[in-house]
Amino acid sequence: MTAEAVIQSLASGLLMGLIYGLVAAGLALIFGLMDVVNFAHGEFLMTSMYAAFGLYLAFALDPLASAPFVAAAMFVFGAVVYLGLVRFAMSASANAGMVQIFATFGLAITMRGLAQLLFTPDYRSIPHSWLGGKTLKVAGIFLPAPQLAGALVSLAAFGALWLVINKTDFGRALEATREDAGAVALVGIDKKRIFALGWGLGGALVGLAGAVLATFFYIYPDVGASFALIAYVTVALGGFGSVFGAFAAGILVGVVEAGTAFILPASLKYLGIYALYLLVVVLRPRGLFGSL
Amino acid sequence: MKLNRREALAGAAALAASLGASGAYAADEIVVGAVFPMSGSTAQTGVDARNAIETALAIVNAKTDLDLPLAKDAGLTGLGGNKIKVVYADHQGDPQKGRAEAERLITQDKVTAIIGCYHSSVSATVSQTCERYAVPFMCADSSSPSLNKRGLKFFFRASAHDEMFSAAMFDLMDMLRKQGQKIETLALFHEDTIFGTDSANVQTKLAAARGYKIVADVKYRANSPSLTSEVQQLKSGNADVLMPSSYTTDGILLVRTMAELGYKPKAIIAQAAGFSEKALYDAVGDHLEGAITRGSFSLDLATKRPMVGKVNDLFKKTAGKDLNDNTSREFTAMITLADAINRAASTDGEKIRAALAATDISGDKTIMPWKRIKFDETGQNNDCDPVLLQYVGKKFVTIFPESGAIAKPLWPMKG
Amino acid sequence: MAGSSHDSARRNNLILAICVAAAVACLPLVVKDVYIQNMLVLTLMYAALSQSWNILSGYCGQISLGHALYFGLGAYATLLLFTKFGVLPWFGMIAGGVIAAAVAAAVGYPCFRLKGHYFVIATIVIAEAGLLLMLNWDWAGAAMGIEVPVRGDSWAKFQFARSKLPYFYFALGLALVAWIVTWKIEDSRWGYWWRAVKDNAEAAESLGVVVFRSKMAAAAVSAFLTAVGGGFYAQFVSYIDPESVMSFQFSLLMALPAVLGGIGTLWGPAVGAAILIPITEVTRSYAGGTGKGFDLIVYGLLVMGIALGRPEGIVGAPLRARKRAKAA
Repeated sequence: MTAEAVIQSLASGLLMGLIYGLVAAGLALIFGLMDVVNFAHGEFLMTSMYAAFGLYLAFALDPLASAPFVAAAMFVFGAVVYLGLVRFAMSASANAGMVQIFATFGLAITMRGLAQLLFTPDYRSIPHSWLGGKTLKVAGIFLPAPQLAGALVSLAAFGALWLVINKTDFGRALEATREDAGAVALVGIDKKRIFALGWGLGGALVGLAGAVLATFFYIYPDVGASFALIAYVTVALGGFGSVFGAFAAGILVGVVEAGTAFILPASLKYLGIYALYLLVVVLRPRGLFGSL
Repeated sequence: MKLNRREALAGAAALAASLGASGAYAADEIVVGAVFPMSGSTAQTGVDARNAIETALAIVNAKTDLDLPLAKDAGLTGLGGNKIKVVYADHQGDPQKGRAEAERLITQDKVTAIIGCYHSSVSATVSQTCERYAVPFMCADSSSPSLNKRGLKFFFRASAHDEMFSAAMFDLMDMLRKQGQKIETLALFHEDTIFGTDSANVQTKLAAARGYKIVADVKYRANSPSLTSEVQQLKSGNADVLMPSSYTTDGILLVRTMAELGYKPKAIIAQAAGFSEKALYDAVGDHLEGAITRGSFSLDLATKRPMVGKVNDLFKKTAGKDLNDNTSREFTAMITLADAINRAASTDGEKIRAALAATDISGDKTIMPWKRIKFDETGQNNDCDPVLLQYVGKKFVTIFPESGAIAKPLWPMKG
Repeated sequence: MAGSSHDSARRNNLILAICVAAAVACLPLVVKDVYIQNMLVLTLMYAALSQSWNILSGYCGQISLGHALYFGLGAYATLLLFTKFGVLPWFGMIAGGVIAAAVAAAVGYPCFRLKGHYFVIATIVIAEAGLLLMLNWDWAGAAMGIEVPVRGDSWAKFQFARSKLPYFYFALGLALVAWIVTWKIEDSRWGYWWRAVKDNAEAAESLGVVVFRSKMAAAAVSAFLTAVGGGFYAQFVSYIDPESVMSFQFSLLMALPAVLGGIGTLWGPAVGAAILIPITEVTRSYAGGTGKGFDLIVYGLLVMGIALGRPEGIVGAPLRARKRAKAA
């Protein structure tokens, strides 16, 4: 194994890690910051990918150009899912966690069924996009353009999320609402509105991720499952309550995945990610940077 | 008020019974069961299979001028012109569900035979169930070599299994070697479920037997979000031939990742699956100029046998795509089964089994490039030589065996 | 809580359970259809599995979404011991149970310190790791799985070509055993500690060590029963591969009946399974063949509807209401 191969591996792992981060960003907000389980995260992603694909078919719009539209549509979708479903699941007086899991699990199955009904189970993909198939070669290291773009979007998304959470009234209200909905009601904060916005924002982040993935990934009704588990592990690894944690964990997961594939057969490369998670939470029961 | 278990069960039982009863068929219909994945990650295959089987039924049940068994008359002449009807069931890729559905079809719908199941794991339990009920099982498209070696009396497979498929791939390489091409090293790239594992096991054996060196053997997790590390291993191996055993999803990601990491394999010889699917070439066909895949079927045959083109047109009308490796096998399995039921002139499992065992359809009466359909004592057809197809100029051309080839192999590939 | 009324409520529950089991045992006299018998076997099996899951996750409060690991261990231990060493499945199931219990204790030791979602995700990750290892373990058949050739009926080998009844009665027995274990635990010291810990964080502090040990024991009992269920499933289907016995889907399917019926209740898992499993089977069988995803839509909507309509579970709500009424 040459030094070049090692560097290439690290670089690829880093790019993939940023993309895992981007996929997990919306979940980091909903699951990590608002403490609501969304078992349909993978299906949110699948819907975003179909949206990007649909815009490409209808208007020949490149996924990168359609990303803002997909994000906007997913903002609405996220808010609707909260108002129409999750809100009621959260109000369960007992086992709210399990009720959320199964309400959103039901949603996930329904969304898959609907995708199969509307789009057929065929495998779709966008054959030609601005960046598709293009690759940057720096000192013998290949950096695929779609992944680079994904990494940049990921950086921007996390930057924006951090600003929203830490520097805006909305962010403070969100945190306060999670901690004590009763108390914030006294100071005139409407939990329903704040959480609907939170879910909308989470949906919009998934929308961005879906549009970016659509440039190089295949699309079919079950595609979300490939990414969902990694997204959950990423959020928990980073620690609940920390935006930066999810970002750092995403990168770590990407690099560890690439590293494991060096040591073990490639079919076992996810063992590295699982071992990393277990090791971290056994040593630090709140994840890397978690506060909850 | 607590809903007690007995009431719930009784209610469910009544519901199921009423639904079961609704599956009653016209007395003059012969019912065959089809168990395929209709939802889940391989649902596309099941939906395509349904189209292929319906195409076969349209030919069997109506009067056509095609030179296929049963095509010339409406319905089954052996059973007074009765028509065949197929009921479909979904196994979702789960052997337990496949088994339960087979049992339901046999006991409730009283099917005369079952056809399926794509996943080798499901074909294993469904064929076992058919054996217990003495109902013939026509294995349409599962290619695990172990399936016919389990001593089952009611198992029949008209198409090739992985050992035959892989042997054809190595035959092609041997031929090219003789013609002076340098082919010494191979890279295996296979997924970790039963299909990829089986395929790689056979290829590893054949490589050792025929003097090829495997420089990279990459087993990967099916439906991985990323194949970057895997492709790097392939790239550093830089074998003379890359042999992928992948479904459509992973195939698309593999080819994209290879392009992005600047890896152009000298040649690709694929174990069909994803590499015979239109979706894959729609997505990444640009990078696959000259890629070779094994197959059971070739549209080139239509030039010699115009009937093949007509059948393909019929299929395309409903499915919106050409027949491929899987759908051609499903079509042929259905025709073969219908032919046996017709000759048995009965819906009795034992009689149909006997008729299947006596099947002898000459190759030119099928849409396949086969010599004939004739089953050995394990229920396997050994005269179903696979073909090798090369993707050239946005379509497949047959390059092997030489008897059916319409072009010389393009070697190495252009990529 | 008055001792005597508590005792009589418990006795009534036991009598009810025995009556229900006896009534279910008579069902095959009426139900002759193999498909429905098959559905009954699955329903009873999921009632047993969900009851086992409920011990750890419902009563003890350690939500596990990784029970597929124990199920798979039981299935694999049973078939591997039989096909490789000729050990009869009856012993194989016990061996699988013991292995699963040991694994559960080993997993629980570091993981029980984790709270909430951190614990749930740890259980998912451990089960997925198990799935990956089985997929790559060539000696155990890897992805090819293991098949038991069924040649005629045999009680010793626990295989029956056509009859569902032996499987039916075994599943009924397993469900009853799981129910009785839960019934015993509910009134034991463990049950008392767990309730104390749930109600009062300070009590948790003072009970720390004993509670930790009781959780380990609960995990072992839960895993043991789940693994016996896995061994049963392997015999019932006569073919297993990693995806069909160890996938994440299974972990959810085991938890679902308890959640729908009422998590942490005695009757929740059985009631949940009796409703959910027939729905699952019937929607797939009669809506799945179209390939248009109707079965998924119906099933998903139902799960959503039940989760929202009865968030405390079907038997959970009335029980709680009764308690509240008593307290008032």
